Amino acid sequence: MINKELLEEILPKVEKPARYIGSEENSIVKEIDKIEVRFGFAFPDIYEVGMSHLGLHILYNLLNNEDSIYCERVFAPWVDMEEKMKENDIPLYTLETKTPINELDFVGFTLQYEMSYTNILNMLDLGNIPVLSEDRGENDPFIIAGGPCVYNPEPLADIVDFFVIGEGEELTLEVLKTYKQWKKLGKDKKDFLDEVAKLEGIYVPSFYNIEYNEDNTIKGMVPKNSKYPKTIKKVIIKDLDKTYFPDKIIVPYIETVHDRIILEIFRGCTRGCRFCQAGMIYRPVRERKVDTLVELAKKLVDATGHDEISLSSLSTSDYSQLEELIKRLIEEFKDKNVGLSLPSLRLDSFSLEFLDEIQDLRKSGLTFAPEAGSQRLRDVINKGIEEKDLIDSVEEAFGLGWSGVKLYFMIGLPTEEKEDVMGIKDLAYKVKDVFFSLPREKQKGNLQITASTSCFVPKPFTPFQWFPQNSIDEFYDKIRLLKGEIRDRKVKYNYHDPKLSFLEAIIARGDRKVSKAIVEAWKSGCRFDGWADLFDFNKWMKAFETTGIDTDFYATRSRSYDEVLPWDFINTGVTKEFLIKENEKAIKGELTHDCRQGCTACGINQSFNGGVC
Amino acid sequence: MIKIRGKFTKENEMIFIGHLDLMRLFQRCFRRADIPVKYTEGYNPQPKLSLATALPLGVTSHGEYFDLELDRQIPIESFIEMTNKFLPKSIRIIKSQYTDDKKSIMSLIRWSSYIIKINLENTIDEDVLQKELDDFLNKDEIIITKTKKKRGKIKKRDVNIREFIKDFDIFSFDNNSVIFKVMLKTGSTGNLKPEDLIWAFNNYSNLDIIEDKTKIQRLELFIEEENNITTPI
Repeated sequence: MINKELLEEILPKVEKPARYIGSEENSIVKEIDKIEVRFGFAFPDIYEVGMSHLGLHILYNLLNNEDSIYCERVFAPWVDMEEKMKENDIPLYTLETKTPINELDFVGFTLQYEMSYTNILNMLDLGNIPVLSEDRGENDPFIIAGGPCVYNPEPLADIVDFFVIGEGEELTLEVLKTYKQWKKLGKDKKDFLDEVAKLEGIYVPSFYNIEYNEDNTIKGMVPKNSKYPKTIKKVIIKDLDKTYFPDKIIVPYIETVHDRIILEIFRGCTRGCRFCQAGMIYRPVRERKVDTLVELAKKLVDATGHDEISLSSLSTSDYSQLEELIKRLIEEFKDKNVGLSLPSLRLDSFSLEFLDEIQDLRKSGLTFAPEAGSQRLRDVINKGIEEKDLIDSVEEAFGLGWSGVKLYFMIGLPTEEKEDVMGIKDLAYKVKDVFFSLPREKQKGNLQITASTSCFVPKPFTPFQWFPQNSIDEFYDKIRLLKGEIRDRKVKYNYHDPKLSFLEAIIARGDRKVSKAIVEAWKSGCRFDGWADLFDFNKWMKAFETTGIDTDFYATRSRSYDEVLPWDFINTGVTKEFLIKENEKAIKGELTHDCRQGCTACGINQSFNGGVC
Repeated sequence: MIKIRGKFTKENEMIFIGHLDLMRLFQRCFRRADIPVKYTEGYNPQPKLSLATALPLGVTSHGEYFDLELDRQIPIESFIEMTNKFLPKSIRIIKSQYTDDKKSIMSLIRWSSYIIKINLENTIDEDVLQKELDDFLNKDEIIITKTKKKRGKIKKRDVNIREFIKDFDIFSFDNNSVIFKVMLKTGSTGNLKPEDLIWAFNNYSNLDIIEDKTKIQRLELFIEEENNITTPI
């Protein structure tokens, strides 16, 4: 245990000390001497961000349901706390028992976004754990990782001992059971890695050599021993309705990003947007039943005292029983001052009427994500919404009293031309025209349209995985164009930093060599790269230079279909043939229908059963 | 109007929970305890709950107060019992009663008593310390600079805090560690934070107080009726 008195002395001097104290409602206390496996669930960002992540609550409660396992939480301390911890020799500790993380059996990181990778190194270092796998000894914990970013694990191959690929709830339990047996045998760590490598979905990077061609592309990935699998197949939860979902979740003392109950209604998405990684890697779609969800909601409200429930999924409108679910939830909670929120909702007549009902007069803002400015480009990305749909929806929304509209776009999508970029402005202006063409008395509130652009980052396992990202200069040209063209009091233009997206692209499609640059960047002081005020682009570029990494090779280079990609050894169930076919159709601007309307032959139902498709 | 006035403690790790977070914590616990809390009208209904004062972060208290309005009367014992069941162990409601007082608890508070433990850089004798304390309290003016953020601008203001100090006594003494008992002005008619008092004492005297090591405990809040100082319940 760390020195608690010292901790109490430094806490009053840092911002939001409640980030570092634990002991929240529904956090779990166990007697340590009865525990066989101690697991640290590590979220590589600050407390408020990590506590808003549903996966944390699921895994935390699932693991703690086992008497012999104790799962505790670890977050990245904010920079002020980091400084105080270093000054006072306080190592990074778990919130529950204030145990230094190097005394645990496992530290498991969840990888939600690439820009958190330097935080992983920083957290290990603050916990006195060597950052490289090869430098860790028999007494150090196993460092493992899961989450959406592990579908390309290679950029962290030097740091993480093994990865859990896919929906790791059940697999993690399996790993910990294997650990208990291994511990009794008294063998070395390598022996345990040999054991877990046998489990489907586990990838141990140190068991493989990567061979490169002269042009730096990958020649092949060779297992060091023939007993290690050549491909790693992701694991999925077959029956989501019967699988574990916590009926109590920790209630933070301080406000977090999502300060409410999160109810996961289904996994996966059938839309098939071609830029979207989540839509590909989380296939197949699996739903929870209305009865199950209402029952869970009741238990969660009782156990937390929260006054809001948020439905969570990739596309809320696609839940097959949405109307029924909403009706039942409203019925259940109408007298209890518990509100309902629905993110990721497709805005059509049904959803607007419903939002009208629950939002009362606080009609501040509605968000639409057309993603691209022109119909042609929306077809390229298979977004499947027509301009008319959007115009009809905003007209209805204005009529119901909304006056704020946010429009989200991406720039740098494949085949994008100047006209497509200009289409962003045109669409925003058309929305404005809709408002002012309404009769005077119907123009309620103060119209504010916000058009935001992010810079497209091609991701592994999407049809655009071969595509060259725009250069930083190209992005800036497009941003300048829009900044110059959008000149209207009612239309505001926001944009994301292309430099950050460039870095994200390098890491997202990085190979093992990128590991070295991440370590170098961290050594030069990078951490919290996703936080604009701490992101230091120059330090990163320096780190790439020092480690001999050609950034354009990763970000802006076009790959050919026959190139071996760093993540090819992972089997997500969606075939490469399907991705190629989709990419070809994209270039021709051909649409692929939603797979609820008929199978699109992505391959998922060949390798996995359990979904609705 | 059905109003409960309650007294509660705030200790251990709960001292790091700020004022607004404490309000939200109470709201969640009342909800779970099925207390018939009265909500404000309008589109964003808020429970009619007010806390007497904002306790500074890091300060333990044995005497905090709140006012809570209810829709209907419930037995006071079950109010205490049910709410305590859902509150964290380090926050306890220790006393409650129904009140007809129209005034809000916030506007009534005038004084706070504290125990303050300080550590000194060097060992000194008790009479030296007593002399320093007497000299300090014999001054007509003790000036501290208060900074206030108003609409993003930082405003500085010098305040004479002498009249805000009612009692300032040595409670116990042990070489380089001293415990004081103090009574300080609190609330809307003037406010002195204990850490500011220690800062001023350190500045105006020849003592070397290690301010980082100071520990503060609030004992009680007081109201004043016709020069009569009493507790709110």
